[in-house]
Amino acid sequence: MENKEPLSPHIQIYRWHVSSLVSISHRITGIINIIVITFICFWVSLLLLGENNYLMINFFLKSFLGKFIILAITWSFSFQMLSEIRHIIMSLGYGFKVQTTKITGFLVIFGSLIFTIIFYIIGKNFI
Amino acid sequence: MVQLNLPKNSKIKKGKYFSDKTGSKNIKKVNIYRWDPSSGENPRIDTYEVDLGDCPSKVLDILNKIKNEIDSTIAYRRSCAHGVCGSCAMNMGGKNGLACTQPHAEIDGDLDIYPLPHLKVKKDLICDLDGLYKQYQSIEPWLKSSSNSETSEIIQSKEDRKKLDGAYECIMCACCSTSCPSYWWNGDKYLGPAVLLQAYRWIIDSRDEEREKRLKKVADELKLYRCHTILNCTSACPKGLNPAKAIAEIKKMLATSNL
Repeated sequence: MENKEPLSPHIQIYRWHVSSLVSISHRITGIINIIVITFICFWVSLLLLGENNYLMINFFLKSFLGKFIILAITWSFSFQMLSEIRHIIMSLGYGFKVQTTKITGFLVIFGSLIFTIIFYIIGKNFI
Repeated sequence: MVQLNLPKNSKIKKGKYFSDKTGSKNIKKVNIYRWDPSSGENPRIDTYEVDLGDCPSKVLDILNKIKNEIDSTIAYRRSCAHGVCGSCAMNMGGKNGLACTQPHAEIDGDLDIYPLPHLKVKKDLICDLDGLYKQYQSIEPWLKSSSNSETSEIIQSKEDRKKLDGAYECIMCACCSTSCPSYWWNGDKYLGPAVLLQAYRWIIDSRDEEREKRLKKVADELKLYRCHTILNCTSACPKGLNPAKAIAEIKKMLATSNL
């Protein structure tokens, strides 16, 4: 078996495009969101068990790690939302030109960052 | 299953270095994937210093120059040199394309040349495309109509003919299919952009009478829906076609028709 034909290199050498980056991020954020939503549901139901749990959650959310996680989740949701809109438009058969996919890809990336900031500011004023 | 690393026998080693002997100042370093089936060794990357002062504009010209003047052992497919036959499809500068239509000036820095991604290598830049051709055969890429129309001309309106534009020009060079990560991981089941574009070409042909059968055949979780709109295919196509859009159109047809 020494002379078995090798497999040519693939992901190691293929250049990333905006479209491929947005596509893989869409899938990763999708999985993260499912886990996060389940987690939040459990968390909210914990409140039924009393004030102690509320205080604990509050303490965690006020910590640096808690804030970081909230920010990350906000980004993940924003990204997923915008990317999904992009996918819906594509499912209708529009936006397949190479140039257009680049523009919509960048819109999703920068839009998600802007959304994160907006959501954070709004949330901060409420709490 | 997604396999990110290359298997043990495919790990790439550093190869030989061919220094420039012409003394030219206009030098481009060209890194080429080499594998010799008779050596029993792993693939390697050989580096060639090529004098661009005496070389035409395309990547294929560089390869020809290397083969003619520096190292005649290098193997690659080529035929028409005009982007019509699709033989010289390879990965240049991290993107698939035809060596004969890809200007080397568009690739900055060193020029990296690899065979088409995620295929079995036969030798150097030559890959095994058997799987792709079998899949192409599976969609039955020929006109199917009832026997009485076989003796007479089948009339097609100008509008119906126009639907085939952007689909019939495909030269089956495999640039798109081998640029698709979905095809890398599921190439045995997922048909890939090239074959799906051809499936689309026969589905929308007004002269073909087995449109529904063709649609049913392709409507499969793995055959069709492994397309995740990564869009590497469209950006790789050297003929400027849009396989991703064709796949989206097939999905749309399936979603809107009662099969």
